[in-house]
This record gives sequence, C-alpha cells and structure tokens, in this order.
Amino acid sequence: MGDNYAHPYLANSKKDIDEMLEYLGISSIEELYSDIPDEIRFKGQLKLPHYQSEFELMEAVKKKLGKNITTREVRSFLGGGVLDIYMPAIQDEILRRTEFYSAYTPYQAEASQGTLQSMFEYQSLICELVGMDVANCSLYDWATGVGEAALMASRITKRTKFVYTAAIAPNREDVLKNYVTGANLELEIVPYDETTGKMDIAKTKALLDDTVAGIYIENPNFFGIIEDELDEIIADAHAKGIRVVVGADMNSLALLKPPGEYGADIAIGEGQSIGGGPLNFGGPLLGILAMKYNKKESRQMPGRIVGKTITSNEGEVAYANTLQTREQHIKRERATSNICTNEALVALSCAIHLTLLGPQGYKETAETMYLSAHHVTKELDKIGVKRVFDSEFFNTFILDLKIPKGKKQEFTQFMLERKIFPGIPYSFDGENYDYIVTTSYLLCEKDLDDFVKAIGEWRK
Amino acid sequence: MYRQAKYDEPLIFELGKKGRRAHLPPRCDFSREDINIPENMKRITPPDLPELHEGEVMRHYVHLSQMNYCVDTNTYPLGSCTMKYNPKVNESIVRSEKIMYLHPNQPVETVQGILEILYELQTSLGELAGLPHTTLQPPAGASGEYTGLALIKAYHVDNGETQRDEIIAPDSSHGTNPASTVLNGQKLIEIKSNEDGRVDMDALKAAVSDKTAGLMLTNPNTLGIFEKDIIEMSNTVRDAGGLLYYDGANFNAIVGKIRPGDMGYDVLHFNLHKTFATPHGGGGPGTGAVCCNDILEPYLPVPTINHDKDKDYYYFDYDRPKSIGKVHGYHGNVAVALRAYAYIAALGEIGLKNTSDQAVLTANYVMRKMEKIDGLRLSHTSSIPRKHESVLEATPFLRNHDVSGMDIAKMLISRGLHAPTVYFPLIAHEALMMEPTENENKDRLDQYVQILEEEMDKARKDPDYAHNAPKWTSIGRVDDGYAIRNLTLSWKMMKEKQEE
Repeated sequence: MGDNYAHPYLANSKKDIDEMLEYLGISSIEELYSDIPDEIRFKGQLKLPHYQSEFELMEAVKKKLGKNITTREVRSFLGGGVLDIYMPAIQDEILRRTEFYSAYTPYQAEASQGTLQSMFEYQSLICELVGMDVANCSLYDWATGVGEAALMASRITKRTKFVYTAAIAPNREDVLKNYVTGANLELEIVPYDETTGKMDIAKTKALLDDTVAGIYIENPNFFGIIEDELDEIIADAHAKGIRVVVGADMNSLALLKPPGEYGADIAIGEGQSIGGGPLNFGGPLLGILAMKYNKKESRQMPGRIVGKTITSNEGEVAYANTLQTREQHIKRERATSNICTNEALVALSCAIHLTLLGPQGYKETAETMYLSAHHVTKELDKIGVKRVFDSEFFNTFILDLKIPKGKKQEFTQFMLERKIFPGIPYSFDGENYDYIVTTSYLLCEKDLDDFVKAIGEWRK
Repeated sequence: MYRQAKYDEPLIFELGKKGRRAHLPPRCDFSREDINIPENMKRITPPDLPELHEGEVMRHYVHLSQMNYCVDTNTYPLGSCTMKYNPKVNESIVRSEKIMYLHPNQPVETVQGILEILYELQTSLGELAGLPHTTLQPPAGASGEYTGLALIKAYHVDNGETQRDEIIAPDSSHGTNPASTVLNGQKLIEIKSNEDGRVDMDALKAAVSDKTAGLMLTNPNTLGIFEKDIIEMSNTVRDAGGLLYYDGANFNAIVGKIRPGDMGYDVLHFNLHKTFATPHGGGGPGTGAVCCNDILEPYLPVPTINHDKDKDYYYFDYDRPKSIGKVHGYHGNVAVALRAYAYIAALGEIGLKNTSDQAVLTANYVMRKMEKIDGLRLSHTSSIPRKHESVLEATPFLRNHDVSGMDIAKMLISRGLHAPTVYFPLIAHEALMMEPTENENKDRLDQYVQILEEEMDKARKDPDYAHNAPKWTSIGRVDDGYAIRNLTLSWKMMKEKQEE
C-alpha cells in the first residue's frame, strides 16, 4: 500500500487509512473481512481491462467506438419507437448539472425540490401531450410500459385476459409476453385488416367479453397507420368493462388527437423520441405511462409519482413523492410493481426538450416528419414502388419491397454504400422482407430524394 | 455554514407567455397545406406547453438545480444506494457521437465498436461474479432480479419441476426482492433473521422443500453483515433441489474479495449504477446486468451479444429457443453500461479491490464513532464488523427525548449533509442506514459525526428544534399527508382545482 495506492476515485490516503485502522484498533483492513470463511475468499487474479491514466482510457474507448457508423454519417430511416433527434445545446448544458444527475431518488424532499418540481413538471407535460390527468415519473421504456399497463388493467378489473393488436412492434410484443407470465395472463391477438393495416373491427369485437381486462392499441400502429376507426371498438370495450390502453407515437400527438380525448383509459409510449435523449443504441429510454385520474384505479399505477403539497409549518408550496404505499420499498410483495430505479434523468431531459420546443416547435417537428415521409411516398409512387397498406399515416410507412431472405444482406450493403439506413426489415411471410421506413425532421429534401433514387436503382 | 438556495420558483407553465420561442428546430420547405389527417383524428386543442425564450429556460433549471442536494454537494451516505462519486470522464465518454447516434436496429456491421465494449463488459462482470455468462439487457436492479428469477423458473419448468415455485428470502431483503418474486409468479417464503441479523439457519432448514425454486440472498445483507454461513445455506437449498440467487446490490463490499459463482451460486445481478459509479440521475437510469452459470445460460434474454473469434466479429444471437424472451425493448441501458465499462477500466483489478477496502473501512469507522453517541445504538449485534454499510437505531433517543430517526435525518440535511436512509431495513427500529462509500475521506467522516453530535445535543435541549427541522434547506418540513388528502399530480389537475 505505497504511493501506487492513490487513485482519483478513492478518497483516503495511506495516512487516512492508518488513522482509521488505529481508531478501530485493528492492523489491517483485512481484519474487517475476518468473518468471511477463508475457503470462500477469492485468491486468484482477475482479468479486467485497465488503463493507467484518464488520457489512455479516453483514447482506448475512442478507438473502439470509432468502428461504429452513426446515423449522422448516413441518412437514417430507422424508427420503430426510437428516433434520431436533435438535442439543443442548452439541453445538455442543463443535464450536465451535477445537482441533477448525481442525486438519487428524492427521499429527503426538503433538500430535493429541484428533482421533485422537475418531475412534477415532467408528469404535467406528458399529461398535456396525451390528454390525461396523471402520469408517473417514468418506466424503463415503451416496451415495459405495455407489460406494466397489461398488469395494471388486470389488477383494476380483476380479470386475467389481455387483448392486443397484431400491428404491434415485435420487441414490444416480446416484452409484453414476458411481463405477463408471472401473473398468468392469457394473451389474445387482434388481427389487422390486410388491405388497410388497421385493426379489424368485427374480429376485435368478437374477442372482447367480460373476461378481458384490457385491450392494447397502437396509434399510429407499428406499420405507421393512423387508426381512425376506433370509436366502435373503444365503446364496445368500455361497455364490457374493459380498460383501453393506447400506445402512441409521442411526436404524432402534435397532429393527432390525444388518446385521452378518444376514450383511452391508459396512455403509454416512448419518451426518447420527444427529447428523452440521443439514441444511445437503444438505451436509456423513457417509458411513458399516464391515465385519467380515478381515486381507486390511479392507486394501481406502477412507479413513482410526485404530488404538490405544502410545508407543515409555513404552508409554502412544496413537491413530494406521493401515493408511496403502492411501491416496493413499503409494500414489498404487495407492491403494484417491482420498479425502483427508473429513468428519472431521461424524464428530466424530455421535460427540458418539450419546454424548449414549446407548442410551436413541437408542432413544427411533427409536421416536418409527416411531410418528409409523404414526400418520399409520393416520389416512390412515381417510380412504381408502393406501400403495403394504403391508409393514412404519420411519419412511418411500410414499403412493399419483398426482398428475399437470401438477398437481404446484399440490400443492406447496397444501401450502406449509398450512405442509407433504409428502415427496419419486416417479413409477413417469413421469406421476403418489406421495410418499415420512418422519417425524422433531420433529413433535407436531397436526402429524401437520394433514398428514392437508391430504391429505384435497387429495383433495376 | 450551509444555506441551500431558495427560490419561489413558479412551475414552468406559469413562466411562459404566448409567442416566445426557446428553440427553432430544422424546417423543410414542403407546404404545410399538404397535411391531411383524417378529420376525426385531428388534434383540435394544442397541448398547453410552456412558451419561454432560451435564457429563461436556463434560469428555471438553474434555480431548480440549486434546490437539489447531490453527491457533489457533500457527504451522501444513503444506505443501500451506494452514492459514490460519478467520474466526470465517463460523462465525456458518453457524449461521443459514436455512441449517441447509434440506432438499435442499424446493421450489426456498423456497430462493431459498441458491441466490442459491451462484450468486454460482459466478460469483466462475469469475471467479478465468477459466472461466465452475462446479459446487459435489464435496465435496473429490480429488472435484473426479475430476470434472474425468471431464469430459475425457466430451469425448473424445463426440468419438469413446475411445482418449484417458492423463493426463499430473508426479512432483511430489499423490497424489490419480494416484489420481483411476485412479478415472476413465484411465491415468497420470507424467513426471519436471527439476533445477529443473519439468516436463521433453522428457519431456512424448515423452509426448504420440494417446492423450493431457489434462495435469494443479499450478501452482505442490508444490515451490512456478511452471511458467514453461506456455504451451509447453499448446501441446504441445493440439497433440497433449489437454485441459488445472489443479489449483488451490495457488491461494493466484496469486489475481488469473493466470487459468488465460486461459492456455487447460479445467478447474480449487479447494479451497475451502484457498484460501478454511474450517475443515479435523481432516480435513474440504472442497469441491472445478470450473470449466470452454464445451467441457466440457455434461458438468458434474447438476444445475447457474442463474439466470433476467428472472424473477430461481434453479433447478436437471436436463435435461443429456451430463452425467457425480452425484458427491455432493445439492449438495455447501453450508455450506462459504457460508463460502467470506463469505470472498471479506470480502476482495474487492484483499484477495484481497493475500492471495496475503502468502502468497508469508511463504513466501519463511521459506525464505531456513531455508536458512541448517546441515544444511538448499533442494530443487532455490535460484536462483528460490518461491510459497506451499517444500521444504527435511534430508539433510545426517541424514548428519552421524543426525537425520532426521521427528526435526526432532517437535522442533518439542515446542516448540509445528506441523511442516512431512514426506517430501512424494516427489521431495525428507528433505523439510520449509513453507507459512506470509498468517496468519503476520514476528515469528512469526522465532520459528519461531529455535526451529528452537535445537532443531537441541540435536540436534547429542545426537542421542538428537531421536530421543526430542517431549517436551512430550500423549504421546511414537508407535509406528506396533505399531498395525499389533496392529490394534485399535474398542471392539469392544478388548473381544474383552481377553477373549482
């Protein structure tokens, strides 16, 4: 334990250590481990990476990461729930304030009003977008949100069947299936209409009865289609006591009616794409969950919720975690969810972003996404490339390409050479691939036209 | 002297005025008139988002940030949370464009760099756990617990032992243990701790049966005590046909000291945000990496990240028929994992071992000093050393002076020190759970204890001083009951109440 012992992440010098040992009346730290049986002590050597200096570490990581090709080095048409967004410089300036990022859950409200008020504002902003009264402080992502919403609907209705749209993203479907195994929920899939890509009204209604806890609808759905014929389905669900869960693309809600206005009981979605953060290869993300306030049912929400309150003596405005008797640290096995650590900083990031956009910026970005996508489909139409479904859409559509499995890699390479990530491959028949194409607001007209041109060249 | 900033900061909604702009997003030249949303789905009322200019947004958040206590403010010994310093180099590393702008669905040949790092991290965590297979998909500790328990469940089902649905956990465990067990559809068998704060071996022996799926053990436990009978416990559970789950929430005490895999444990989760210093973010994000042995490997979440050594090529393996499925939409909290990788690589083997040494030394040092304060006592036995944390009880102080553990916590924050975790674990009374971590030096700890003594002294003379604390924080003691009686959970609910 000589000079080599010192490290920037360790607070105590050899002298500090000696003094503490002396106080404890022991001769080495090892004595504090004396109750661990010797036969289980690890005596080998660990193979771990190690860089002596911060400089070397930075260089090594930079070198490794340098092998990646980013969405900014090509033209990305990838969506599926997460999206390449621009984060204004001020946003990261705020997020790098250590007062926010190096704090933890605001258990001591008096010293944590910054986190608490900003989370109250986040909840409020989300409620504005989705047309609901109450949102929680975050779930992990949209996919786990579907799972939590299904379990919540089951707790509220005390029913054990959950119905969901077939036009769901496969990753969200996978997480849903996993989340409900413990509660033994029975899952049923609502088919979509093969020409419109929308939920099949008659078949959906046939699946709904008084054993169903909830129905999950995506809008726009995974194929990008705007579900505009939901009235009958939602009315039928409500008549049978079924809770309606809508998973919405949060950007689309600048143009589309919010779920709370067309009968959804619970709204969920992904917050990354409205400012939660950069893509970061898919995480951290931000699971949004909001609902209409109902004294009884809102107590079934998972996760942390911040409420407005007052101080005991002065009666001043204050914010605090509330309805905590739903949570694991108090209710243990009777908690509404096991979630503890959530995505609070991502929620803060999202709140800052929405504040920066304001109503005008929020609408403009959505309009650009919409118009970019529609420009592409119009141009593709001219060269005879169609969409799989011809219904109205927001910024996502599925391109009828039918690329055989064996040629998929070649297509990827072809597009990569033209600096394009063409979309998410999706197969209806297990043999041929169509592509789910999404436009952000970061591509200019030339990028869009290059994409059309590249598709045209591939078809030749 | 400590004075936390105080602003009568309005809600961001109250600061705005129509027509102000804080940001101009990129625009395209397409005509807005070409937007054609089906009439019944058009948004009529725009969302009530705030309208501010950029400078005013900055002020708002600077004000809020100054009303927040954080690790870099001062000592933050929140037991069970491992509030260590978040190295700033990691914040710079994750701002690389080469990580920020990677979409999870882009071709695998374009993400070789990040996959290499994630693979190296998997290997490193496996090395520390003594378990060779790792998934980084669970986005938080509780999600890691759920994943690990799901692996155990899948194993028993696969072996035709569907009746094995009981998870045994001690009553000292974190609340997430029972909650994750129930989420996974297993039954919780909670066993009592003995007077030493350890698992009662007789209770464990009585609890195991042919229904036992596994034991979920946090070690060191939430009292900071090492479960020294771990081998006997393992044998008891294993002989009954159960598997062994090691909750690595408290791994900061044992890095490089013991390896759960070596002791026969089948599965473990790490909290990367705790042991490996990634920022807690005011509540998240975290990461709950899970390591397991060969028998549980087939059930790991899809996809796994693998390495083809011959081609030096990293890839995702989705072809895993026995997998439990997915626990996150993509590959977990990658940017958090990258920070953890950088932390491990900055310390290396020796540095990490020293980290545990200092975490355990500071915990014992501050505990022995606090134990001597009149009105406090160490929970359970005083005769054995603790590991990374300890639990003191303020029971005598409450009895003699009518000043509770919560009052003590509030007096501390009034002096610019974060309180220990209060009232957890539930098996201690008036609990004050102290976890200083290796980020506190001796001087800081001495200062902490001195201020604690000063404050308790004031409370002895005037209990109301304690009841009315804190004084120098942004706001005084919060009325939690009022929040529940007058539930106001959003700006929308606020506006509706004002109209009433």
